Amino acid sequence: MATMETLQDLDAPLKSAVIDLLYRLADDAIIIGHRGSEWTGFAPILEEDIAFSSMAQDDMGHAHAFYQMLHELGEPDPDTNVFGRKLDQWKCASLVSLSSERDWAMSLVRKYFYDVAESLRLDSLAKGTLIPLAQLARKLSSEKKYHLMHGHMWMPRLGKGTSESHQLMQHAVDTLYPHALGMFESTDADSLLDQAGVCPQENDLQQRWVAEVDKILSEATLKVSVQSSPVYGGRVGEHPDDLATLLENMQLVYNLDPSAKW
Amino acid sequence: MVDTQWPVYEVFHQQARGEPHIHVGAVHAPDAEMALVMAKEQYCRRQACVNLWVAPATAILATEYQDGDMFEHATDKSYRESWGYKTPKTIKTSDEETSK
Repeated sequence: MATMETLQDLDAPLKSAVIDLLYRLADDAIIIGHRGSEWTGFAPILEEDIAFSSMAQDDMGHAHAFYQMLHELGEPDPDTNVFGRKLDQWKCASLVSLSSERDWAMSLVRKYFYDVAESLRLDSLAKGTLIPLAQLARKLSSEKKYHLMHGHMWMPRLGKGTSESHQLMQHAVDTLYPHALGMFESTDADSLLDQAGVCPQENDLQQRWVAEVDKILSEATLKVSVQSSPVYGGRVGEHPDDLATLLENMQLVYNLDPSAKW
Repeated sequence: MVDTQWPVYEVFHQQARGEPHIHVGAVHAPDAEMALVMAKEQYCRRQACVNLWVAPATAILATEYQDGDMFEHATDKSYRESWGYKTPKTIKTSDEETSK
Protein backbone atom coordinates (compact mmCIF):
# COMPACT_ATOMS: atom_id res chain seq x y z
CA MET A 1 0.00 0.00 0.00
CA ALA A 2 1.25 3.48 -0.85
CA THR A 3 2.74 5.39 2.04
CA MET A 4 2.21 9.09 2.72
CA GLU A 5 5.47 10.71 3.76
CA THR A 6 3.99 13.98 5.01
CA LEU A 7 0.64 15.29 6.20
CA GLN A 8 0.45 17.31 2.97
CA ASP A 9 0.11 14.05 1.01
CA LEU A 10 -3.43 13.53 2.38
CA ASP A 11 -6.26 14.24 -0.05
CA ALA A 12 -9.27 16.14 1.29
CA PRO A 13 -11.54 13.21 2.31
CA LEU A 14 -8.69 11.27 3.91
CA LYS A 15 -7.48 14.40 5.67
CA SER A 16 -10.83 14.87 7.39
CA ALA A 17 -10.85 11.17 8.33
CA VAL A 18 -7.39 11.56 9.91
CA ILE A 19 -8.58 14.68 11.75
CA ASP A 20 -11.50 12.66 13.14
CA LEU A 21 -9.11 9.90 14.25
CA LEU A 22 -6.69 12.35 15.88
CA TYR A 23 -9.49 14.03 17.85
CA ARG A 24 -10.59 10.65 19.20
CA LEU A 25 -7.02 9.78 20.20
CA ALA A 26 -6.25 13.21 21.67
CA ASP A 27 -9.53 13.68 23.55
CA ASP A 28 -9.38 10.20 25.11
CA ALA A 29 -5.78 10.85 26.20
CA ILE A 30 -6.29 14.32 27.71
CA ILE A 31 -9.43 13.29 29.61
CA ILE A 32 -7.95 10.05 31.02
CA GLY A 33 -4.91 12.17 31.94
CA HIS A 34 -7.14 14.66 33.74
CA ARG A 35 -8.96 11.84 35.53
CA GLY A 36 -5.59 10.38 36.56
CA SER A 37 -4.43 13.75 37.89
CA GLU A 38 -7.47 13.83 40.19
CA TRP A 39 -5.67 11.18 42.26
CA THR A 40 -2.60 13.30 42.89
CA GLY A 41 -2.34 13.50 46.67
CA PHE A 42 -5.21 11.03 47.18
CA ALA A 43 -4.06 7.62 45.91
CA PRO A 44 -4.19 4.82 48.50
CA ILE A 45 -0.41 4.68 48.95
CA LEU A 46 2.38 7.16 48.33
CA GLU A 47 4.18 5.06 45.71
CA GLU A 48 0.98 4.60 43.72
CA ASP A 49 0.16 8.29 44.04
CA ILE A 50 3.42 9.13 42.29
CA ALA A 51 3.08 6.36 39.69
CA PHE A 52 -0.50 7.27 38.82
CA SER A 53 0.27 10.98 38.58
CA SER A 54 3.29 10.30 36.44
CA MET A 55 1.25 8.16 34.04
CA ALA A 56 -1.36 10.94 33.89
CA GLN A 57 1.40 13.27 32.72
CA ASP A 58 2.39 10.72 30.07
CA ASP A 59 -1.20 10.60 28.81
CA MET A 60 -1.41 14.39 28.69
CA GLY A 61 1.86 14.41 26.77
CA HIS A 62 0.38 11.97 24.24
CA ALA A 63 -2.68 14.19 23.93
CA HIS A 64 -0.48 17.22 23.33
CA ALA A 65 1.36 15.42 20.54
CA PHE A 66 -1.94 14.51 18.84
CA TYR A 67 -3.31 18.07 19.23
CA GLN A 68 -0.08 19.39 17.77
CA MET A 69 -0.55 17.19 14.71
CA LEU A 70 -4.15 18.41 14.45
CA HIS A 71 -2.82 21.97 14.49
CA GLU A 72 -0.47 21.07 11.62
CA LEU A 73 -3.56 19.89 9.75
CA GLY A 74 -5.17 23.32 10.18
CA GLU A 75 -7.11 22.79 13.41
CA PRO A 76 -6.83 25.27 16.34
CA ASP A 77 -3.69 25.23 18.48
CA PRO A 78 -3.62 22.75 21.42
CA ASP A 79 -4.55 25.28 24.15
CA THR A 80 -7.49 26.71 22.22
CA ASN A 81 -8.63 23.20 21.38
CA VAL A 82 -8.55 21.88 24.94
CA PHE A 83 -9.71 24.96 26.83
CA GLY A 84 -11.97 26.52 24.24
CA ARG A 85 -14.08 23.63 22.94
CA LYS A 86 -17.72 23.12 23.93
CA LEU A 87 -19.04 19.82 25.29
CA ASP A 88 -20.60 18.57 22.03
CA GLN A 89 -17.36 19.21 20.12
CA TRP A 90 -15.48 16.60 22.15
CA LYS A 91 -14.89 13.12 20.70
CA CYS A 92 -13.82 11.13 23.76
CA ALA A 93 -15.42 7.82 24.77
CA SER A 94 -17.62 7.71 27.86
CA LEU A 95 -15.08 5.37 29.50
CA VAL A 96 -12.73 8.28 30.14
CA SER A 97 -15.47 10.84 30.81
CA LEU A 98 -17.03 9.09 33.81
CA SER A 99 -16.14 10.52 37.20
CA SER A 100 -13.82 8.27 39.20
CA GLU A 101 -15.70 9.19 42.40
CA ARG A 102 -12.50 8.49 44.31
CA ASP A 103 -13.10 4.79 43.69
CA TRP A 104 -9.66 3.27 43.31
CA ALA A 105 -10.80 0.00 41.72
CA MET A 106 -12.82 1.92 39.11
CA SER A 107 -9.87 4.15 38.29
CA LEU A 108 -7.46 1.27 38.00
CA VAL A 109 -9.73 -0.87 35.80
CA ARG A 110 -10.64 2.13 33.66
CA LYS A 111 -6.97 3.02 33.17
CA TYR A 112 -6.16 -0.58 32.26
CA PHE A 113 -9.05 -0.86 29.76
CA TYR A 114 -7.92 2.39 28.17
CA ASP A 115 -4.23 1.43 28.11
CA VAL A 116 -4.88 -1.85 26.29
CA ALA A 117 -6.90 0.06 23.69
CA GLU A 118 -4.37 2.85 23.25
CA SER A 119 -1.56 0.37 23.04
CA LEU A 120 -3.33 -1.60 20.28
CA ARG A 121 -4.06 1.65 18.42
CA LEU A 122 -0.46 2.81 18.66
CA ASP A 123 0.81 -0.59 17.47
CA SER A 124 -1.42 -0.52 14.42
CA LEU A 125 -0.75 3.16 13.67
CA ALA A 126 2.98 2.43 13.87
CA LYS A 127 2.55 -0.04 10.99
CA GLY A 128 0.29 2.34 9.09
CA THR A 129 0.84 4.22 5.85
CA LEU A 130 0.74 7.75 7.27
CA ILE A 131 4.42 8.10 8.11
CA PRO A 132 4.36 11.11 10.50
CA LEU A 133 1.65 9.41 12.56
CA ALA A 134 3.44 6.05 12.41
CA GLN A 135 6.61 7.68 13.74
CA LEU A 136 4.71 9.43 16.52
CA ALA A 137 2.95 6.19 17.48
CA ARG A 138 6.27 4.35 17.76
CA LYS A 139 7.63 7.09 20.00
CA LEU A 140 4.60 7.13 22.30
CA SER A 141 4.30 3.36 22.64
CA SER A 142 7.45 3.16 24.76
CA GLU A 143 5.63 4.94 27.60
CA LYS A 144 2.54 2.75 27.16
CA LYS A 145 4.66 -0.30 27.88
CA TYR A 146 5.01 0.79 31.51
CA HIS A 147 1.32 1.69 31.80
CA LEU A 148 0.40 -1.82 30.67
CA MET A 149 2.90 -3.38 33.04
CA HIS A 150 1.33 -1.37 35.86
CA GLY A 151 -2.14 -2.68 34.96
CA HIS A 152 -0.93 -6.25 34.48
CA MET A 153 0.50 -6.17 38.00
CA TRP A 154 -2.51 -4.69 39.75
CA MET A 155 -5.42 -6.46 38.03
CA PRO A 156 -4.71 -10.04 39.23
CA ARG A 157 -3.43 -8.89 42.61
CA LEU A 158 -6.63 -7.04 43.43
CA GLY A 159 -8.91 -9.50 41.63
CA LYS A 160 -7.50 -12.35 43.71
CA GLY A 161 -6.55 -10.30 46.77
CA THR A 162 -9.31 -10.41 49.38
CA SER A 163 -13.04 -10.93 48.99
CA GLU A 164 -13.45 -7.16 49.42
CA SER A 165 -10.91 -6.30 46.72
CA HIS A 166 -12.41 -8.92 44.40
CA GLN A 167 -15.87 -7.48 44.90
CA LEU A 168 -14.69 -3.92 44.24
CA MET A 169 -12.85 -5.00 41.09
CA GLN A 170 -15.79 -7.04 39.80
CA HIS A 171 -18.07 -4.06 40.36
CA ALA A 172 -15.65 -1.88 38.39
CA VAL A 173 -15.53 -4.38 35.51
CA ASP A 174 -19.35 -4.69 35.46
CA THR A 175 -19.75 -0.92 35.39
CA LEU A 176 -16.98 -0.05 32.96
CA TYR A 177 -16.93 -2.86 30.38
CA PRO A 178 -19.86 -1.46 28.34
CA HIS A 179 -18.16 1.95 28.31
CA ALA A 180 -14.88 0.33 27.30
CA LEU A 181 -16.60 -1.27 24.29
CA GLY A 182 -17.82 2.24 23.47
CA MET A 183 -14.19 3.19 22.70
CA PHE A 184 -14.66 1.22 19.46
CA GLU A 185 -17.77 3.05 18.28
CA SER A 186 -17.39 3.16 14.52
CA THR A 187 -17.35 6.51 12.76
CA ASP A 188 -17.69 7.66 9.16
CA ALA A 189 -13.91 7.81 8.99
CA ASP A 190 -13.43 4.08 9.65
CA SER A 191 -13.54 2.55 6.19
CA LEU A 192 -11.54 5.32 4.56
CA LEU A 193 -8.75 5.04 7.16
CA ASP A 194 -8.74 1.27 6.72
CA GLN A 195 -8.65 1.40 2.91
CA ALA A 196 -5.77 3.88 2.98
CA GLY A 197 -3.89 1.65 5.42
CA VAL A 198 -3.69 4.31 8.14
CA CYS A 199 -5.28 2.09 10.79
CA PRO A 200 -7.67 -0.87 11.01
CA GLN A 201 -11.44 -0.62 11.46
CA GLU A 202 -12.76 -0.09 14.98
CA ASN A 203 -14.48 -3.49 15.18
CA ASP A 204 -11.19 -5.15 14.24
CA LEU A 205 -9.45 -3.32 17.11
CA GLN A 206 -12.30 -4.23 19.43
CA GLN A 207 -11.82 -7.94 18.75
CA ARG A 208 -8.12 -7.66 19.59
CA TRP A 209 -8.96 -5.65 22.71
CA VAL A 210 -11.50 -8.22 23.92
CA ALA A 211 -9.01 -11.06 23.43
CA GLU A 212 -6.25 -9.21 25.27
CA VAL A 213 -8.43 -8.04 28.17
CA ASP A 214 -10.09 -11.47 28.55
CA LYS A 215 -6.72 -13.03 29.32
CA ILE A 216 -6.01 -10.67 32.21
CA LEU A 217 -9.57 -10.72 33.51
CA SER A 218 -9.56 -14.50 33.75
CA GLU A 219 -6.14 -14.41 35.42
CA ALA A 220 -7.68 -11.94 37.87
CA THR A 221 -10.74 -14.25 38.34
CA LEU A 222 -12.99 -11.43 37.11
CA LYS A 223 -15.95 -12.04 34.79
CA VAL A 224 -17.61 -10.12 31.99
CA SER A 225 -21.38 -10.00 32.16
CA VAL A 226 -22.97 -11.52 29.04
CA GLN A 227 -25.41 -8.63 28.74
CA SER A 228 -22.54 -6.17 28.34
CA SER A 229 -23.61 -4.03 25.39
CA PRO A 230 -21.55 -1.02 24.31
CA VAL A 231 -22.30 2.54 25.41
CA TYR A 232 -21.90 4.71 22.31
CA GLY A 233 -22.17 8.43 21.69
CA GLY A 234 -18.80 9.80 22.72
CA ARG A 235 -17.39 9.80 19.19
CA VAL A 236 -20.28 11.96 17.97
CA GLY A 237 -20.28 14.45 20.84
CA GLU A 238 -22.89 12.88 23.14
CA HIS A 239 -21.42 12.72 26.61
CA PRO A 240 -22.36 11.90 30.20
CA ASP A 241 -22.87 14.87 32.57
CA ASP A 242 -19.58 13.96 34.23
CA LEU A 243 -17.70 15.32 31.21
CA ALA A 244 -19.56 18.64 31.41
CA THR A 245 -18.47 18.96 35.05
CA LEU A 246 -14.88 18.06 34.16
CA LEU A 247 -14.72 20.60 31.31
CA GLU A 248 -16.21 23.33 33.48
CA ASN A 249 -13.45 22.69 36.00
CA MET A 250 -10.63 22.27 33.46
CA GLN A 251 -11.61 25.30 31.35
CA LEU A 252 -12.50 27.64 34.23
CA VAL A 253 -9.32 29.69 34.40
CA TYR A 254 -8.83 29.89 30.63
CA ASN A 255 -12.37 31.16 30.15
CA LEU A 256 -11.84 34.04 32.57
CA ASP A 257 -9.76 35.62 29.81
CA PRO A 258 -9.13 33.50 26.70
CA SER A 259 -6.79 36.14 25.24
CA ALA A 260 -4.45 36.20 28.27
CA LYS A 261 -0.80 35.42 27.56
CA TRP A 262 0.84 32.83 29.85
CA MET B 1 -1.97 8.36 53.65
CA VAL B 2 -2.70 4.96 55.12
CA ASP B 3 0.29 3.09 56.47
CA THR B 4 0.12 -0.01 54.31
CA GLN B 5 2.51 -2.04 56.42
CA TRP B 6 3.81 -3.53 53.20
CA PRO B 7 7.39 -4.75 53.26
CA VAL B 8 10.19 -2.40 52.27
CA TYR B 9 12.27 -3.06 49.15
CA GLU B 10 15.59 -1.31 48.62
CA VAL B 11 16.01 0.12 45.13
CA PHE B 12 19.22 0.06 43.06
CA HIS B 13 19.45 2.06 39.89
CA GLN B 14 21.83 1.73 36.92
CA GLN B 15 22.40 4.79 34.76
CA ALA B 16 24.17 3.10 31.86
CA ARG B 17 25.11 -0.44 30.90
CA GLY B 18 28.34 -1.48 32.57
CA GLU B 19 27.96 1.09 35.36
CA PRO B 20 27.37 -0.21 38.90
CA HIS B 21 23.86 -0.34 40.34
CA ILE B 22 23.63 2.38 42.97
CA HIS B 23 21.30 2.40 45.94
CA VAL B 24 18.83 5.27 45.48
CA GLY B 25 16.14 4.64 48.11
CA ALA B 26 13.31 2.30 48.98
CA VAL B 27 9.65 1.58 48.23
CA HIS B 28 6.84 -0.19 50.04
CA ALA B 29 5.28 -2.97 47.98
CA PRO B 30 3.31 -6.19 48.49
CA ASP B 31 5.88 -8.21 46.52
CA ALA B 32 9.07 -7.86 44.50
CA GLU B 33 7.42 -7.48 41.07
CA MET B 34 5.19 -4.71 42.37
CA ALA B 35 8.25 -3.10 43.96
CA LEU B 36 9.85 -2.88 40.52
CA VAL B 37 6.73 -1.24 39.10
CA MET B 38 6.70 1.30 41.92
CA ALA B 39 10.44 1.91 41.81
CA LYS B 40 10.34 2.77 38.12
CA GLU B 41 8.21 5.86 38.71
CA GLN B 42 9.73 6.82 42.07
CA TYR B 43 13.33 6.75 40.93
CA CYS B 44 13.49 6.77 37.12
CA ARG B 45 11.00 9.37 36.02
CA ARG B 46 13.52 12.20 36.11
CA GLN B 47 16.87 10.55 35.45
CA ALA B 48 18.38 8.22 32.90
CA CYS B 49 18.02 4.55 33.80
CA VAL B 50 18.70 1.33 31.92
CA ASN B 51 18.13 -1.21 34.68
CA LEU B 52 16.59 -1.48 38.13
CA TRP B 53 17.13 -3.89 41.00
CA VAL B 54 14.93 -4.29 44.04
CA ALA B 55 15.78 -6.40 47.05
CA PRO B 56 13.81 -7.00 50.23
CA ALA B 57 15.25 -4.80 52.97
CA THR B 58 15.13 -7.82 55.28
CA ALA B 59 17.68 -9.56 53.03
CA ILE B 60 20.32 -7.02 53.96
CA LEU B 61 22.65 -7.65 56.87
CA ALA B 62 24.29 -4.46 58.14
CA THR B 63 27.00 -3.52 60.59
CA GLU B 64 26.19 -1.57 63.76
CA TYR B 65 27.20 2.09 63.91
CA GLN B 66 28.54 1.47 67.41
CA ASP B 67 31.13 -0.82 65.81
CA GLY B 68 32.26 2.02 63.54
CA ASP B 69 35.70 2.10 65.19
CA MET B 70 36.54 -1.16 63.43
CA PHE B 71 36.75 0.82 60.16
CA GLU B 72 39.44 3.13 61.58
CA HIS B 73 43.15 2.48 60.95
CA ALA B 74 45.15 2.39 64.14
CA THR B 75 48.58 2.19 62.49
CA ASP B 76 50.27 3.53 59.37
CA LYS B 77 49.03 1.56 56.33
CA SER B 78 50.38 3.95 53.71
CA TYR B 79 52.26 1.00 52.16
CA ARG B 80 48.85 -0.08 50.79
CA GLU B 81 48.52 3.09 48.73
CA SER B 82 50.30 4.16 45.59
CA TRP B 83 51.08 7.55 47.17
CA GLY B 84 52.92 5.65 49.90
CA TYR B 85 55.78 5.01 47.46
CA LYS B 86 58.38 7.25 45.86
CA THR B 87 58.64 6.86 42.09
CA PRO B 88 62.03 5.22 41.34
CA LYS B 89 64.50 7.45 39.51
CA THR B 90 65.09 4.91 36.74
CA ILE B 91 61.46 5.11 35.59
CA LYS B 92 61.63 8.91 35.61
CA THR B 93 64.78 8.81 33.47
CA SER B 94 63.23 6.38 31.08
CA ASP B 95 60.13 8.63 30.76
CA GLU B 96 62.27 11.66 30.13
CA GLU B 97 64.25 9.80 27.49
CA THR B 98 61.19 8.66 25.56
CA SER B 99 59.74 12.18 25.58
CA LYS B 100 62.95 13.60 24.05
